[in-house]
Amino acid sequence: MSLSDWALVAEDAFNLAVWAYVAGMVLYFAYLAFRREPLWWLGRIAAWVGLLANVVAIVARGLAAERVPWGNMYEYSTMLAALVVGVYLIWVEGRQKQKALGGFALMFAVLTMAVAATFFFVPVGPLVPALNSYWIKIHVVAAIAGSSLFAIGGIATILYLIKDSIERRQLGRLASQQPPPIMGGAIDLDDPLDLDRDVDGPGGAQTGTETEQARSGIFPSAATLDRVAYRVIAFAFPIWTFAVIAGAIWAQEAWGRYWGWDPKETWSFITWVIFAGYLHARATNGWKGRRAAVIAVVGFVALLITYYAVNLWIVGLHSYAK
Amino acid sequence: MRTALILLLLLALASVVGSLVPQWPNTPDRVLRYLEDHPFWGEAFERAGLFDVFGSWWFVLLTVLLFVSLVACLIPRTRSFVRAVRARPLHAREVDSFRHYAERRVAGTPEDAAGAAAVLLRRRFWRTARAGTQVAAEKGVLREGGSLLFHWAFLLILIGVIVGKGTGFSGFAVIVEGDTWVDARANYDGQLRAGRFFDGEFTGIGVRLRSFESDFRRSGQPMDFVSRVDLLDPRGDLIRRQDIRVNHPAQLEGLRIFQSSFGWAPVIETAREADVLTSAPVVTDLTPAPEGVPAFAMPWRGFVKLPSADGATPDVAVSFQLYPDSEAFLTSLATGEPVAMLRENEPFLRFTVWRGTLTDLATNRLDTSLMRRTATGIVGLGQTASLRTGERLAPAESPTGLTVSFPELRRYTVLQVAEDRGVPIVLLAAILILVGLLPALYDSRRKLWIRAEPDGEGSVLKIGGFALQRKPQFEEEFERLVEAAARAAGGPATPAGSEKEQVGSR
Repeated sequence: MSLSDWALVAEDAFNLAVWAYVAGMVLYFAYLAFRREPLWWLGRIAAWVGLLANVVAIVARGLAAERVPWGNMYEYSTMLAALVVGVYLIWVEGRQKQKALGGFALMFAVLTMAVAATFFFVPVGPLVPALNSYWIKIHVVAAIAGSSLFAIGGIATILYLIKDSIERRQLGRLASQQPPPIMGGAIDLDDPLDLDRDVDGPGGAQTGTETEQARSGIFPSAATLDRVAYRVIAFAFPIWTFAVIAGAIWAQEAWGRYWGWDPKETWSFITWVIFAGYLHARATNGWKGRRAAVIAVVGFVALLITYYAVNLWIVGLHSYAK
Repeated sequence: MRTALILLLLLALASVVGSLVPQWPNTPDRVLRYLEDHPFWGEAFERAGLFDVFGSWWFVLLTVLLFVSLVACLIPRTRSFVRAVRARPLHAREVDSFRHYAERRVAGTPEDAAGAAAVLLRRRFWRTARAGTQVAAEKGVLREGGSLLFHWAFLLILIGVIVGKGTGFSGFAVIVEGDTWVDARANYDGQLRAGRFFDGEFTGIGVRLRSFESDFRRSGQPMDFVSRVDLLDPRGDLIRRQDIRVNHPAQLEGLRIFQSSFGWAPVIETAREADVLTSAPVVTDLTPAPEGVPAFAMPWRGFVKLPSADGATPDVAVSFQLYPDSEAFLTSLATGEPVAMLRENEPFLRFTVWRGTLTDLATNRLDTSLMRRTATGIVGLGQTASLRTGERLAPAESPTGLTVSFPELRRYTVLQVAEDRGVPIVLLAAILILVGLLPALYDSRRKLWIRAEPDGEGSVLKIGGFALQRKPQFEEEFERLVEAAARAAGGPATPAGSEKEQVGSR
């Protein structure tokens, strides 16, 4: 196949991925609404088809351009969507057995790709000189991997905050009606978010989750959401740290200084600081739970600014990535 | 910790401001525009240091306070960490009251069983203390150790930054093709950013630009910029030849030389009849492009000053605009769509002749306020024009009066030259940050107690323990340890299934 053929394959696969994600998102949400297992299965199939098409789009783009397929914002966004869906399908759904979050993960992927196609599309082309370095393989991959994990953590945290307020309201109602409730496992009035206690219940996380699901439907409990969010963010943080360091090393090579407060550098630092604050808050008594979650949401917003706003509105050295 | 965290968040907030307000070091032209557009706020911002947030006194103060608070936090933590590492694990009075507990009947005597279990734990990197038939063990100091390393490493970054910026410098060298630039204070273009403790000694090494090449795609997207240079020692002898590209700096005697930007340097020759007055390449700069026009669609500007030789006749100056690619220029004119002039293609100069008084012979600017325009003209590569009339001379025509000619078009490169001795320190600190971060997040502190009591022929091992972090993972580890300890202590004394055997967590 010629290079332009690959470019066409990349565009077709991109479109297929978007449509498959849209279908998967609708099916996952339908599963949440109607609680019919087949809907979840169909959503899962659509998500996997979309992920496959997404990966094909990335590979074809790389073949068409004869370089790594992450040289501009359009390509970063394609990668980011694939990673978010991949982490969701493999880790959240595969390992953590959370079936109900697919709609939200796919929604993020659809939005990312839609923004990419609308604002960032550029035809296949070679890298600008500043990007032409082996550090692009290290820095950009780490940055996108960290971003996708932070994004999943951010989504889980937002859902946690919503679910937590619902649970509190239910709990308040229960408490006013009955003598002090004795709840199995998950909810503990003294310290509703001592996750370790939740995990340590008889049989560990798995049984805990099932009893919660039996009680409050298929949607995971606030404690489970919070645990997923924390684990993803704790995993993302070193990757992000590494991405910033790799970026500094590259900046030293390309621009003659490792740190120059360029807007992208500044915002990646701000994102880092906020998530560092989140991890500290988790380790501090009295800051667990909702307060820490709010910090994580602020971090998620900072991540989006780092990713989008810096390229769209703020002039800086990373502007070539438009 | 709280103070440090708040200071860190304040630092992040200051950074937000620094990324939204244009900054002098990053985008000076945007600061100037802002000052023009918003005189009141511009003035207020300037006073508050908002145009240079990261160099402002309050940002430095915040950083200093953050590090003071960090160190104040770290010293007691480090002390108690050292104490904890030195101390031997404490024995427990009751083994069966811990979260995880198991009993195993084994063949060995209590003494042997406890000894074997202690050896086993030590082999698995547990710190152990044994007293007779009791063993106490701990693992996971790396969690706190890694965390401390991570935090101390930031202090190392600060040291690296201070050393590097304090003793180093950074400046720009402008070199025209064929010329040699020597590393000395006077030869830096514009402001030299030197640290407070910079020793002021320049290396004297030379950089001779053999050629500069730029490569663009048809769309105008840059492909490659390369300065082909000879690096010379202070005596002028060749050290080596090197290509300096974006992402591929040269390194020499502690200096690092980076490709920064480039431009055109037409050789302008002025003469009076047969006497050549000036003949040198003139470094031009790009005319700022209006909104929506590609930067390289604009001509390059330069000038030549011809001060009066005797003081009686007026000074003369020639200002000019260089169009390196006349074909692209004509296309722009014909279509109305500005086209970038990226390569040399029948270049020409449009020049303006000024006569009067030059006020600023020493500076790098042309002030025409005391001069008047006397002629304009166009001169192509290899051509000569009269400065009196502005008209081009025919090839065979012998000149009268002042003339200007354009014999050659060269390119110049702008190289950034920097010395930063702090870079290795900062790099080391960055590595330590990562090395510390991983155990700080993923290691867990675990404690284990084993007590061996006589039981018939053999003994019974009572094992209790708990983990402070990663508790689900410890559950599996605990079971594995119990089995391994039982095996090490001589294996089961009686066939399995005894009512005393239980593994569980509570």
